[in-house]
Amino acid sequence: MRTTATIVGLAIACLGISTVAPIYYLYLANMLLIYAVLALGVDVLMGLSGQFAFSHMAFFGIGCYATALLNLDLGIPFLLALPIAVVMTAVVGVLVGFAAIRLNTIYLALATFAFAEGMRWIFNDWTSLTGGANGLRILPMFAFGIEITSDRQAFPLTLAFAVVVLLATLMLHGSRFGRELVAVRESEHVSMASGINVRRTKISAFVVSAVYAGLAGGLYTLNHSFVSPPEFGFNGAVLILTMIVVGGMGTVPGVLLGVLIFGLLPTILQSTLRSVLIWQEFIYGAILTASVLLMPRGIWGAFKSLRGFRLHAGSRLGQGMRP
Amino acid sequence: MSAFIIYQSVASGIATGSIYALLAISLVIIYKSTEVVNFAGGDVLMVGAYLGMLSLVYFGLPYIATFGFAALGVFVIAGGFEFFVLRSIGRRQRHGHAQVVSLVVATIGLAFMMRGVVRLFNYTEQPRRLAPLFRGPPVHFGSVILQRQDVAIIVISVLLMAVIFTFFRYTLAGKALQAASQNPSAARLIGIPVRNMRTLVWGGACAISALSGVLIGGKFLMTPDFGGDVVLLAFAAAIIGGFRSLPGAVLGGILLGVVQNFVGFYISSSAISVAPFLVIMIVLLVRPQGMLGGASILRKV
Repeated sequence: MRTTATIVGLAIACLGISTVAPIYYLYLANMLLIYAVLALGVDVLMGLSGQFAFSHMAFFGIGCYATALLNLDLGIPFLLALPIAVVMTAVVGVLVGFAAIRLNTIYLALATFAFAEGMRWIFNDWTSLTGGANGLRILPMFAFGIEITSDRQAFPLTLAFAVVVLLATLMLHGSRFGRELVAVRESEHVSMASGINVRRTKISAFVVSAVYAGLAGGLYTLNHSFVSPPEFGFNGAVLILTMIVVGGMGTVPGVLLGVLIFGLLPTILQSTLRSVLIWQEFIYGAILTASVLLMPRGIWGAFKSLRGFRLHAGSRLGQGMRP
Repeated sequence: MSAFIIYQSVASGIATGSIYALLAISLVIIYKSTEVVNFAGGDVLMVGAYLGMLSLVYFGLPYIATFGFAALGVFVIAGGFEFFVLRSIGRRQRHGHAQVVSLVVATIGLAFMMRGVVRLFNYTEQPRRLAPLFRGPPVHFGSVILQRQDVAIIVISVLLMAVIFTFFRYTLAGKALQAASQNPSAARLIGIPVRNMRTLVWGGACAISALSGVLIGGKFLMTPDFGGDVVLLAFAAAIIGGFRSLPGAVLGGILLGVVQNFVGFYISSSAISVAPFLVIMIVLLVRPQGMLGGASILRKV
């Protein structure tokens, strides 16, 4: 209850600041919020339920193109197009989930990766619908009678959705479903023996993750006037994975920390250290490698063990269950 | 007419396919012996190709020495990465999902570091190609026409594969490597240095992909990003073969090279890029353990 109040209070404070903050900061804030929604969804699938899947950029793309096209071609207003797009993404998520429950580890990673690349090919080659490689121009969306033309106007709506997603994720982590996901991650056999429907749990994880990614994709259309297929490629998938792993997999604060660090890293490198810009890719790789080497549980995990806390509920359960 | 086109597509498909097969072999060897999927495989190949260029253009070495130079350079990089990074990760984390994720993420980190370093050299800004292995008019085999270079690629790949198979089947070191991957604790008991074997496997397998990088550098245009595209095909090839079988990887690679040629000829050139993903998805959905994967192995809890 106190966490909820803190989050809502912080959000209202941000809303206040947003009326006077420079527009570039609002662009960054919108981007971080969208990344946060996407990363929290991927964490439900990867961090909590342990399914090593690369399908999220495809779901993100479906949400984005669906929202934009429903609005452009059928004239459906944003606040209706977004839920429709999310439902469409969820349906695809169910299909992918059904296919994915037969696979695990590397086979799952490669099959979902192939699915994501196939979707990108559709975005790229179904030219009559998506505009193909030239991209799709998005018209400004209308919400509550206001035409959203700037990042400042997009911010309140993006923030509201992100806060709802954050609160929902916190609830999910503490719920029976959340514990079932962790149990499936730690041992499918033990979960099955304890009466958990492993198949249903895994498919649900895919659907939840798809819903988050679809929502993030829909929000993306608010503050972008243009989308093109490369935005939904493998680099994006790796970026989200990096955020989760470096921040702290399976923990909400860790994921948010990761989003903050890697969302801002390119901007920080560009503004402060122009001379090292050429090293950007190397620095990125070095941070990635060093963090899994030195902080296996991510920054949040390292912070918590420094403070002498027990680690998150997931690993406690895991240690108890390992033979 | 159409029979000629089929023969021709198959022949040139085998040339590119055997390069994919070499990279797929490298991925499979690493996966089988360390359970790590090497997401840096494509970038290792890219570094190998650029080391080849360094040796050919800057040092002016002949091709024979170039193969040795690229393989040795990549052996040191990849072996060092295993020794300093992967080994410590394995020591710090208990076995399981978290460890696999960490190891895979570390290989992605390696990929980015290598790409970043290659990009530091201005020379790599333009797409370039290595000098062909052999110059001269194309060779005729009956009605099929092949570039001399393609013939050389096929011959060299087959030789390399023969060396790899002989190594694993008949030499003591090869058998020790297999033992170390099949049952690490028993292998340690009979005196096989399992940890050092892993370093050796990483270095050796990546050296194979460096060789395929030098081979491919004469056919494809090289950029610091081109490894990513090639490795997808190698992943697809390895998946077709079940990801645990070396002959399967070879078969998968050659199959993929030929299928690509047919798709490019009969459907469209833009469909070439999506063909490997369709292959991956179909194979995994129909037979989750791959075509030559045998019965699926239940992991010990």
